[in-house]
Amino acid sequence: MARVRRPGARWWVGAVGLVGLCLATGLEPAYSQQSVSVRATLVKGALPADDPTAAAWATAAVSEFPMSPQVHWPVRITEVTAKSVKVRGLHDGTTVAILVEYSDPSEDPDDAAALEFMVGETKAHFAHGQPMAQVQGGPVNIWYWKNKDGKGVDMGAKGFGTLKPHTHQDVKAKGVYQGGAWKVVFSRPFHTEHVDEDTQFKPGEFASIAFAIWDGKKTDTGQPKEKGSEKAISSWWYFRADAPPDYSPYMYALLAVALALGFEMVLVRRLKKGS
Amino acid sequence: MGGVLVRPIILTVFIYLFLKFIVPNLPHSAPLPSSLIFLYLMLTTAGIVIFATLSGASKDAFFGPIFRFLTGESGGALSSARYLVLALFPLLVGWQTYGSTASSDAPPAENRTIHPAPPGEYTGLSNPVPKTPDNIMYGKGLYASRCSPCHGNFDGKGFAAPGFTPPPANFKDPTTIAMLQESFLFWRIKKGGVGLPVEGMPWKSAMPRWELELSDEDIWKVIMGEYDGAGQKPRTWDESE
Repeated sequence: MARVRRPGARWWVGAVGLVGLCLATGLEPAYSQQSVSVRATLVKGALPADDPTAAAWATAAVSEFPMSPQVHWPVRITEVTAKSVKVRGLHDGTTVAILVEYSDPSEDPDDAAALEFMVGETKAHFAHGQPMAQVQGGPVNIWYWKNKDGKGVDMGAKGFGTLKPHTHQDVKAKGVYQGGAWKVVFSRPFHTEHVDEDTQFKPGEFASIAFAIWDGKKTDTGQPKEKGSEKAISSWWYFRADAPPDYSPYMYALLAVALALGFEMVLVRRLKKGS
Repeated sequence: MGGVLVRPIILTVFIYLFLKFIVPNLPHSAPLPSSLIFLYLMLTTAGIVIFATLSGASKDAFFGPIFRFLTGESGGALSSARYLVLALFPLLVGWQTYGSTASSDAPPAENRTIHPAPPGEYTGLSNPVPKTPDNIMYGKGLYASRCSPCHGNFDGKGFAAPGFTPPPANFKDPTTIAMLQESFLFWRIKKGGVGLPVEGMPWKSAMPRWELELSDEDIWKVIMGEYDGAGQKPRTWDESE
């Protein structure tokens, strides 16, 4: 005769034990969260496009990205000053401002920083948009600032040796050296007339961004420590300017709640009538 | 609520926990996408309902407690649970609706293929350089000067690695060169990141195109030094069959 085993209290103990075991195996170590994107928030007052020290920057979300010595193509460099870069973004609906902050023990005329963007929908290699073997790559748009020039330069490249300033200059930049660190703010309108050469920003949509830093400190040879391709770089990360507030998801959610409540009421009423 | 409902609920919870937390920890396994877990739970629920409605009696036994619970006829402590369920259901629907309509702060998903198929001419090549101690040592020397800045001591942790995404490969990891043929490495070293197909996201890779600076023979020697230094062996056709 088959023995029928009835579930009792021990059965529940086993169930709780298994649930605990599952949760325990599912626990993950707390990894340090590395930034993957720069977020430019909508500023209510004036955009601090020419003031890297403005109080408004304190309201912007900060992202930090590690920097590497440029070892991808000759001329390479093995040690760079900037180990990481902190980036903030703000916009006023028409112009975007991006603040780049990094440590540098000395202020030098040849200190420089740059932002790089893809142009249009075509993917571009992070190293100056160099050609790719199996993918048709696009150009890159580079915003460059050098301390001694005191201005932003709007540049373009599609491969090594093709970097040159655009005939039109839409980028502004200003750097301030304070307490062993550079704060450089770049700014440009969201849209320009030169869609084939300039990156165009669409609020709410992610774009690719990369960074480059040069420590212009003079060495014994009289040359800057970092120059040209000898620089600190990053590969592509993401950038997004916040879209204007959109409250429609809250409306949809409220509508869904109302519909679900109505469904429940009808269901319960019908069940009661049926019973 | 009758025992007839407790078991299906417990079964569904167990299956969810098993898929979510146990399966990813099984050898050679990986976390299941939430959409797949949802599909499995739907299949489980469908199976339970089919099983419970095989006869009129079992159908009444299955749905009876549900109806009594919903109409409040169960009484007792279940009355409080009833109000809780009736309140949580619309909130859950609202939350799901918000989640599916609100814009996400997460960057676009990147479905990068880590080891895409190489072009035909780089398939099945064998290393033409004799595997002598001298050649291995020469390859390790080239590795030290050209590769170690990013790939480090064969562990992907070179001094130049932190700024690059995706990170340089860790050759000691059994899922990298140990599962690849030498011909794959020859292609990747020779053509670099820009030689990758679209699914390899070549626009992000910092791997140099070493054919511009190293001869084919030197590349084969680097491969030899790489396997030796990482304590790995290349995958061969014999082993893969």
